[in-house]
Amino acid sequence: MLRLALADIWHEKVLFLCSALGCAAVLAPLIVLFGLRQGVVAGLRAELLEDPRAREVVSIVNRTLEPTMFERLGADPRIAFLVPRTRALSATIVLENPARPGNGLRVELLPTAVGDPLLPGYSAIDGDELILSGTAMQRLGLNAGDPVLASVARSRGSSREVLTLPMRVGGTAPLSAATRDAAFAILPVLLLTEDFLDGTVDADARPVTETEARQRPFAGFRFYAARLEDVPALDREMRLAGIEVASRAEAVAGLLRLDRNLALLFLAIAGAGGAGYLVSLGVGLWAQVERKRRDLALLSLLGVRRRALLMVPLVQAAAVALAGAVLAFGIAAMVAGVLNRVFAGTVTGDRPVCLLTLGMGAAAAGVTIVGALVAAVLAGLRAAAVTPAEGLAEG
Amino acid sequence: MTPLLALRGVAKAYRGDAAAFALEVPEFDLLAGEALALAGPSGSGKSTLLMMLALASPPDDGEYVFAGSDVAGLWRKGRRDALAALRARKIGVVPQTGGLLPYLTVAGNIALTQRIAGCADPARVLGLAEELGISAQLRKRPAALSVGQRQRVAIARALAHRPALVLADEPTASVHPELADAVLALLKRECAAAGAALLVATHDPDRAARAGYPVLACETHAPGADGLARSVFARASLAKAA
Repeated sequence: MLRLALADIWHEKVLFLCSALGCAAVLAPLIVLFGLRQGVVAGLRAELLEDPRAREVVSIVNRTLEPTMFERLGADPRIAFLVPRTRALSATIVLENPARPGNGLRVELLPTAVGDPLLPGYSAIDGDELILSGTAMQRLGLNAGDPVLASVARSRGSSREVLTLPMRVGGTAPLSAATRDAAFAILPVLLLTEDFLDGTVDADARPVTETEARQRPFAGFRFYAARLEDVPALDREMRLAGIEVASRAEAVAGLLRLDRNLALLFLAIAGAGGAGYLVSLGVGLWAQVERKRRDLALLSLLGVRRRALLMVPLVQAAAVALAGAVLAFGIAAMVAGVLNRVFAGTVTGDRPVCLLTLGMGAAAAGVTIVGALVAAVLAGLRAAAVTPAEGLAEG
Repeated sequence: MTPLLALRGVAKAYRGDAAAFALEVPEFDLLAGEALALAGPSGSGKSTLLMMLALASPPDDGEYVFAGSDVAGLWRKGRRDALAALRARKIGVVPQTGGLLPYLTVAGNIALTQRIAGCADPARVLGLAEELGISAQLRKRPAALSVGQRQRVAIARALAHRPALVLADEPTASVHPELADAVLALLKRECAAAGAALLVATHDPDRAARAGYPVLACETHAPGADGLARSVFARASLAKAA
């Protein structure tokens, strides 16, 4: 039956070509539109994702947050990385290059841990390692691996006490992690600094282990959502819990809103265009069944089963849809190429403004074929209802 | 000898050209390999009878046994697929105007019945085409053939899958009078050669008789008390005749 249906199509090539072109004419603009949506959204998303801070949520007011809260956040699957922080005021230290004594530089001390999205590429950070920002590195005249002295000073009555830690430069932090003079260290170093400034430890104290450090309450935190989509919800939850946070939730929510609105727009246009086309395809196939009534009746008379007759319009509709989809994807790919050249470097940076993938082509073909089959079912039922007796009668 | 097909007390109402008719077949047998012409004026129910015999429309009443299958019973049970399969294997049909599929070549049209019955036999297609003088046309489409050639293609198609019964509905209606005799003779000769029984409906009993067909004429009765004209095809049971 498949061969018969295709032979019929082949016999009426021109009609088939017209149907396929009609299908492509509706489908091609839809594919371009979809590609544009993909391209714009993907471009904005990639731009956001390139910046690790897009997924960052930082608490901005000092509070006393218990370890249980950090345990809860750490277990949240939506949070990919979490590091507590000490009070902002106690998080500055003076760094000195032992080779250039007397030239101390006051830098911000930031907590980090293994897997920090801000510092990609560090599989382990030792307790005596500091990751310096580029500017700090330059001003101190240091290189990775060099020794560096970190010191914190406090006043007790009239005396001045200094805690000095011999450290080592672990590497340079990327520009996206810190633009000002800053040093990243693991949590125990920050905790020691804070304790020393609070006066709870002496100048000869040394950092505790990471595990011990994590059992203490902290003033705040910095964490990264696993997915961009989770940022707005996490931001909202923190605020509801009474923790003031800063994040790019607005920008992310904007992108998600744009994504959703473009999807809605696309659905509306595709729905109107697609439904119109499917109705016309269905009507066309119905008319074809009427026109071929005699042939179908003859096949029935020769002993073809009803189920096989039902297949004829279905096979033909699928063939039209497949040819139309291939044609449409070809046209859309050409249009996309032109668009990408014309809009190069304007809307989405150096990314394509209209993004088409083969997977999308396959999906478009799949959706079109399913739609065409639905449209053809009525025609098929009509074909199956042709009685064999009509084949013998005058015609 | 069991007949290939046997009808007993079959009745079917149908709409003739104008008035309502009732077709009645009290008794009708056909032996395997037998040829017979059904004669009657147009609108006398010949086509209706052929359609019923071709398993294409159900009898209203009565019994119809074909090639050992209870056809009336299959209709009552709504076993349309079983009827279609029986039709595909055992029956060949020559419609009035050939009824060829325009999108298949002559060879494709002839092989169609083989494909539907699932018994491809290219040698038989070639053999039949040679017998019927259309082997030069095998690769052409029906539109490129003359009316007589198309009718021969239809005959070849009706025989290609070696059916037990060939039904032809006015196969000469659309051809030239000289050609008509040739078509009737061809049909009879080919069916005899293939061992298939043959039933031809015709409005021209003399021509059928000239071509060597036994003729069964239908009796038509004017409308009775119920206002229904009746058309009767009766053929004495072969068992009784013997």
